[in-house]
Amino acid sequence: MRAIERLRRPAGREVAPFAILAAMIAALMLLPAFTSYSVRTANVYDILQNFASYGLVALALGLTIIVGEFDLSVSSMYLLGGMVAVLTGAGSPLVGVLAALGAAIVVGAVQGGLIAKFRLNSMPVTLGGYLVVLGITYVLGHGKSVTYENYAVGLRLDKPIAQIFSIRSLVTLGIFVVAALALRYLRIGRDARAIGGDRRAARIAGVRVDRLLVGVFVVSALGAALPGALLSYSLATASPTNIGFDVLTFSATAALIGGVSLSGGKGGTGGIAAGVLSLSVLQEILSVLRSPDYVSSLITGGLLVVVTIVWAPELSRWLGSARVLRPAEADRSAA
Amino acid sequence: MTGAVAGAIDRLGLERRKIGLADAALGAWIALLVAVTAYGAATTAGFLTWSNAKAILTATAFVGIIAVGLTVIVLSGNLFSLALGQTAAISAMVFLYSLRIDLGAAIVLTLLLGLAIGAVQGFAVGAWGANPIVVTIGAAGLMEGMAVWLSHGESIVPPSGATSWERLAQPVLGLPAPVYVFLVVTALLVVVMRRTRFGRQIYLLGENRVAARAAALPITLLTVGAFAIASLYTAGSGILIGATSANASLLLTGSYTYDAIAAALVGGNAVTGGRGSIARTATGAIFIATISDMLLLRGYSTGVQILVRGIIVLVVVVLTNLRSRSR
Repeated sequence: MRAIERLRRPAGREVAPFAILAAMIAALMLLPAFTSYSVRTANVYDILQNFASYGLVALALGLTIIVGEFDLSVSSMYLLGGMVAVLTGAGSPLVGVLAALGAAIVVGAVQGGLIAKFRLNSMPVTLGGYLVVLGITYVLGHGKSVTYENYAVGLRLDKPIAQIFSIRSLVTLGIFVVAALALRYLRIGRDARAIGGDRRAARIAGVRVDRLLVGVFVVSALGAALPGALLSYSLATASPTNIGFDVLTFSATAALIGGVSLSGGKGGTGGIAAGVLSLSVLQEILSVLRSPDYVSSLITGGLLVVVTIVWAPELSRWLGSARVLRPAEADRSAA
Repeated sequence: MTGAVAGAIDRLGLERRKIGLADAALGAWIALLVAVTAYGAATTAGFLTWSNAKAILTATAFVGIIAVGLTVIVLSGNLFSLALGQTAAISAMVFLYSLRIDLGAAIVLTLLLGLAIGAVQGFAVGAWGANPIVVTIGAAGLMEGMAVWLSHGESIVPPSGATSWERLAQPVLGLPAPVYVFLVVTALLVVVMRRTRFGRQIYLLGENRVAARAAALPITLLTVGAFAIASLYTAGSGILIGATSANASLLLTGSYTYDAIAAALVGGNAVTGGRGSIARTATGAIFIATISDMLLLRGYSTGVQILVRGIIVLVVVVLTNLRSRSR
């Protein structure tokens, strides 16, 4: 009980992501001591590749949560990004990526525009957006997977650099650094937290709330489309298959482990990066141990439920009232 | 304080108000939809037939049962659940597996499991204020993991020899049994939400949480109840899905989650809670099934069907909100 209370304090929220990451890394390093498996630099490469596949989605989703919204459409935007890149990038992969980003800007601007203009709840809007984007992806791919013939592009994107990096993971890390600097030193960082914390006060204080909201949803769609496009090149295929909320589950868990608060206004780039890396290290541990896939869903789902509950707004009140019911314990803690 | 409570209760009753621009917009949209549907019906070969009407009702039944149950969560102001598809799939698996005991036991066991799954999620949301969307996404992941773990990734088939369960999927008077179940459980929930204290309290909770707290409503219990009903109905639908397909795995999850939410939204229920009704959701479910059926008959692909569903959801969400804000 005490430990939960400590985690719920602001300092606890900032330290927790890095503590979890440290614990995961320790677990990975200790694997050889307890099992016959060994850990190599290839494992670090895998972790960073996983970071490249999902990190930006977690960053984008985390940003929407920081401003007090939520974007359910990231998982289908991820698929659309891949589909558009593969269909338009046959000649030049760069054109494909730009086309995917262009599509993302349109999707983000429409969703953000509706949410800001009509003051709509972002859940139903992005659910509608999820269906529309998924539908478009199906239509573009005629309901089937599309192969990307230019295999060389994927090989180049994933070629190890200095053993552990690749172009894909370096691009992702670079964007994380830029985002961290922007959130820390530019006004938008402060404004984003302000509209997540108290939107009315932010509006009165002169923050251009509507414009910022549209911007956040555009960034969110971009953050889903770019890794989706790069992953499609890397796999040399794009699929419209509804992969459900898998991308969403991973990125929501990563952002929440990363200390982003669902009540808005709290969270940062470093925490989100630590959250994504924690889950990536976890995936690597599970794959080193050759655990079946369901273990990963169990742990990710369980983690998501646990972090949501630990940081739930009324948990303190509930724990408090539980304590009132047991006067003996209350006396002890008072003394 | 009493003012807020009275105001909230007032808004639940019948109200006399002027018809505003937003009402006109909603009216125009409904008229447009009716016109498009009528045009489609007149020009689509095979649409206006008894067998097609049966097909639409059959397609509505499974999603419809889940959607009306979900509506209780929507009305209580807890947005929606993203774990319904998984709940339906594992209910189908548990049902087909526990047929080894006997039919009655299998039904009771599956429904109890559904009730428990929903109650646990509702408790986290109601007692601790945990975010319903994220809790249900996490629950969905847990259920998927557990289903694969316990079933060893194989699909569940009913025990050979037993055939009593087949009645659940067979036609009665020309319509499949699930259609009757849909109609009966919908009527039942309409009565619960309109005529019982629980129903009225759910409306009040969704309309104004602060007033509900001030009026000392049992918020935790109500939230547990809302999620338990949604999950119970979903388990019921899962039983019928399992009996119809006679083979259950996580593949059954399909698009039930989004389809149920889409039905509740298209019916015009306010997402923020308090305003809407079970009947609206049932209408939304039938409407979506009708449009999908028409698109299918005209040869449009799955992609177009999903796209159209999404556009309808977006338009209705915007219009519903314009209407509720103009008050």
